[in-house]
Formats: sequence, C-alpha cells, structure tokens
Amino acid sequence: MATASGPARTFVERFPSEAGVIKANLLVSFVALGIGAFFGLIQALHRTDILRVIDSADYYTMLTGHGVLLAIVFTIFFLTGFFHWATARSLDQPAVSTLYSWAWFGLMTTGTVLATIAILGGLVPNLGISADVLFTFYAPLQAHPIFYIGLAMFIVGTWLAGADWFLSYRAWRSDNKGERIPLQMFMVLTTMIMWYLATLGVAVSVVFFLIPWSLGLIPSVNPLLTRTLFWYFGHPIVYFWLMPAYMMWYTILPKLSGGRLFSDPLARVVFLLFLLLSTPVGIHHQYLDPGIAEGFKFIAMTNTMFLLLPSLLTAFTAVASMEHGARQRGGEGYLRWLGALPWRDPAFTGMALAGILFAAGGFSGMINAGMNINYLIHNTLWVPGHFHLTVGTAVALTMMAGSYWLVPQLTGTKLYSRPIGLLQVIMWFIGMVFMSNAMHRAGLAGIPRRTAEPQYQNFEFLTPIGSIFELRVQIALGGTLLFLSVVLFLFNMLLTSLGEKSDRPVDEYLPEPLSGPEGSPRVLDNLGLWTGIAVVLVILAYTLPLAGIIQNGGGLFGGGLPIPATVSAGLDFVTTLVTTTVNTLLEVAA
Amino acid sequence: MKLTKARALVIIAFSVPIAIELRTVAGFFNIDLPLIAIAVIEFLFLALMFVLYGLYGEGSESAS
Repeated sequence: MATASGPARTFVERFPSEAGVIKANLLVSFVALGIGAFFGLIQALHRTDILRVIDSADYYTMLTGHGVLLAIVFTIFFLTGFFHWATARSLDQPAVSTLYSWAWFGLMTTGTVLATIAILGGLVPNLGISADVLFTFYAPLQAHPIFYIGLAMFIVGTWLAGADWFLSYRAWRSDNKGERIPLQMFMVLTTMIMWYLATLGVAVSVVFFLIPWSLGLIPSVNPLLTRTLFWYFGHPIVYFWLMPAYMMWYTILPKLSGGRLFSDPLARVVFLLFLLLSTPVGIHHQYLDPGIAEGFKFIAMTNTMFLLLPSLLTAFTAVASMEHGARQRGGEGYLRWLGALPWRDPAFTGMALAGILFAAGGFSGMINAGMNINYLIHNTLWVPGHFHLTVGTAVALTMMAGSYWLVPQLTGTKLYSRPIGLLQVIMWFIGMVFMSNAMHRAGLAGIPRRTAEPQYQNFEFLTPIGSIFELRVQIALGGTLLFLSVVLFLFNMLLTSLGEKSDRPVDEYLPEPLSGPEGSPRVLDNLGLWTGIAVVLVILAYTLPLAGIIQNGGGLFGGGLPIPATVSAGLDFVTTLVTTTVNTLLEVAA
Repeated sequence: MKLTKARALVIIAFSVPIAIELRTVAGFFNIDLPLIAIAVIEFLFLALMFVLYGLYGEGSESAS
C-alpha cells in the first residue's frame, strides 16, 4: 500500500486486473446515468407541461427506465466497482480470482441488458415486450418475463460479487489472524450481509411469483404479498445505495478535507446499526395498505425512527472530521474554519453539498416515517421530492464527486478539468434544490406522483405560498440543470479516461483515524453475532404480518390458486405457535 | 480571504436554497413574497458579497 512517505503508485499499477473490473463496472454505471438522466429530463418537462415530446402513455416507460437505470443500475454498478476497489485497497491484495470477478460482472450486465430491453420495448408497441411497472415492479402491474429474469440475474450477480469480497477477506484473514478488520473491508462486509438478508424478499417474490405469473404458469398472485416482499427489500436497498456514500464520507472525505477520520469505532457502530435496523422497517412504506394490522405498522414506524440514530452519528462524525481537516489547513474560529476547506476540489465540494441536502432529505424522511403525518403526503409529489434528496443527491452526487478522485486512480491519468467538475457539482446542488423543493411543496398541495397528467377536471390545487405554475417552472428548471450537470460529468469522465498517463498520480493514501480501531470492543468485528441478531429482528418484524397476509389475503397466489390444505395447515400451525409463544413471553414479562 | 471562483460558486450554491425558503419564512408572517422579489434579493445579496469581498478580501488562495 502506498504510504504517506512511501512511493505513491496508482491503484491501476498495483492492481491492474482489479482496475479493469472496476472500470467496467463504472462504465455500465455511467452509461445508465446518462440514459436515466435523459429520461428524467423528458419526464420533468412533460409532467410540468413545459415541453411534451412523448405521448403520455410513454411517460410510464420513461418513468420505469428512469427509476431502474438510475436507482438500481447506476447506483449498484457504482457500488460493485467501488467495493471492489475498497476490498483490494484496504486488504492490500488482489481478488482471489479475476475470472470470477468478470463472471459476476458479466451476469449483472446481462441481467441489466435484458431488463433494459424489456423496458425500452415499451416504446416499440409492435415488439410485444414492455415493462411499464415502475421501479417498484410489484403486482398487479405485470412486465414481460425477460424483465423479471433480467432482474433475477442482476441480483444473483450482486450475490456473487459479495462472495468475491468475502473470499478476499477470508484469504486475508488466514494471513492476518488476530488483526482488526480494516475499516473499509468492515464496511463492505456489513453492507453485503445486509444486502443478502434484504434481497431474500425480492428474490422470493420474483422467482416464485412474478416470473411464473408473467410466463402464464400461475393465473394470479397475491398483490399484497408481492408488495410486502418488495418493500421488505425496498427499504434496505436505500441503505445499499447510501452505505457506499457513507463509506466515502467516512474514509475519503476526511482526507480530502486535509485531516483524519474522527472516530473509527463510531463508523463501525454505524454500519452495524444499519445492518440490524434497515431491514425490519419496510412496512413503513405500506401505512395505507389494507390487510396489514395497525400494530405492525406502528412497530415499523418505531424501528424507522431508530434508524435516524446512525445517520445522525454520521453527520456528527463527518462534520467533526471536516473541521479537523480545516483546522489542519489553518482554519480558525467557530465557523470561519469552513472557509479553509478545499472548496475548489469538486470531489470535496460535491460530497459536502451532498451531505447538506441529505440532512434536508432526512427531515422530510421523518415526515414519511411518521404514521399519522405520512397520510398527508402519501403518494404525492412530496415522496419523489424526498428521495431525490436522498438517493438523487446524497448518493448520486457523492458517487459523482467520488469519481473525480477515484477514476484517475483507475486510469493513471489526471482529472480532465477541476473547474468543470466544480461547476457540475454546484449545478447538481442548485438544480436539486429547485426541483425537490418544488416537489415537496407540490406534495403538500396534494399533487399526486406517478402520473403524466396530474391535473383534474373542475379541481384546482392550491399552494399556501406562490402558485402551482411557479412550482412547475421550478421542477422543469431543476430537471434541466440536473441533466446538464450529468452531461458535464460524463464529458469530464470521458476525457479523463482518454487522457495521457500522468507522472503525478493521484495519491490514494488514506490517513489513520484520530481514534483508531484499537479503541473499540472486539465484539464489533464478530460479524456472525450481528448477522444472527439481524435475522432475529427480521423474523420478529415480518413473520406475523406475512402469515396474516397469506391467510387473509387469498393465500400465496391470491384468489386464482388456493394454497394446498397442507400448506394452509402448516401456516396455521406456525401462526398459532408464534402467537402463543409471544403471548407466553409477554405474560412471563408481566 | 480572497473571493476565488470556487468560493463564489459555493456562495451561490448555499444562498439559493436560503433565498427560496425565505418565502416560507415570510409566509409565517403573512407576507407573500413573489418569486421575482426573491430573485432580486438573491441578486442584491450576491452583489453585496462581491462588493464586501472586493473591499475587505485580502490574502492568497493558498488555503483552498
């Protein structure tokens, strides 16, 4: 590993094979970003009625493409590339098998291509292929089978990628008995354990219900069941997007600030809290779904509120690390140290701005999480306003900003233009402020989401401040700035990768934290224990709701295919057993 | 502290959301600020910042 005093060698010189795999992942990620952002621009202009170049029926194809390509393909391919980098870098050793790494990349890419073909097929009616099922893709909307098959291949690809990093860790562990897990590796492992746990729901939904249903092998599905299985996965995927961003805030941002991470143990605790708490909360997306008892929704709400803790800890640690960096650079005073931060560096500025908008997204997320207040904004434009701050900025902007530091390490070149990079991250920030602010306001006015035609006959939406027209202009202006920002980013990345090799490579050295891992209890590294606790929490949160949905909602396959009597009896037995056990425990506790 | 292009961009980025939400704050006091007023306020704020930096901004860019 390059050290502060040792010879600085770029990542690509030390791990050329891994750099190839990572670059391929980032290439797919950036292509998806470009297409998805273009779809986003068309949507923003269409639904605000500023410029309509598509039929409203095609809006839903665009919406699905935008959601899948940005929220799943862009983010997760970036994550797999970034985690592959972090694994090799933090363990200071190459992957166990390059061929295996290419295999999971190939599987993920093939799945992505299939799903994308299914989505884009919606624009060619004669083709007979479409997948206008939105990013959430649960029943009763139905897609062409290749969409679900592609999705399944993609998810299995991520599982294999995780196995690649676990194998690397095992190889490292055999040579480093008794050592603390390097922080970045710890973050990769905890994130992937959460991902394995969370994707079980969507895998069951896709493989056992949606694929047979779309192939015509079964006549119907239980919509509430597929919906619940989706949200079982659909909320933790938020943390699958966020945790690489958090990893950059914890390990790269302090270095870019000119300082050191404030606390390594705190970072480990945060990632463990995400592992434990991110999965048993999905029902908070279903507050208005019938068929799930209020009590389970209340439990999901309280679990969600607990999830604020790791995010607040992260905000504290990130700001403390930045302040330390600023003071190392000569910054003084209560607030004047902010001026000493490296604002000319797009990697730093992008991550810092992303963190600021994430705070705003956290506040609107608390509104979403609260059962009663959620009813005000449920299925309104408030919700996309919220997740454009979290996924669309905290994650996407951090990934783009991180690329300005990461990509030169992988190519051995210099970043093509720092000023363009800076302009790009600023444009993203301002564009997102315009768009998400207007979306939140529009949601409060009751304007629905997921529709190309939000207007109603003989009904006028009212805003307490400003007018609906102003909100529409803000959304269109924001969407346009965001698209232009993506164009600048891709332009910068392309010219960086085509540049000549630099004789002053990017320094990938990450300084030691102010408080190192030796200050944290060793039990934090016992990943088996934390996985076990996470599984128990999921069982507690989901067993009874799922049993109720199956029993009361028409069985496993809805009304069309009753579940066999033996399965029904088995479910009855499990439900009775769990209920009796819980009641007994409550009596004992009382 | 000298006003570099980077600092100017960051100041613009930070002041835009504050300017937009100024309407909300004014709304609490039943003052309906039109969007054009916000644009003018933002413009004046930036002009003031640039003038102040021009008058009092000293030193080098090395810190950033």
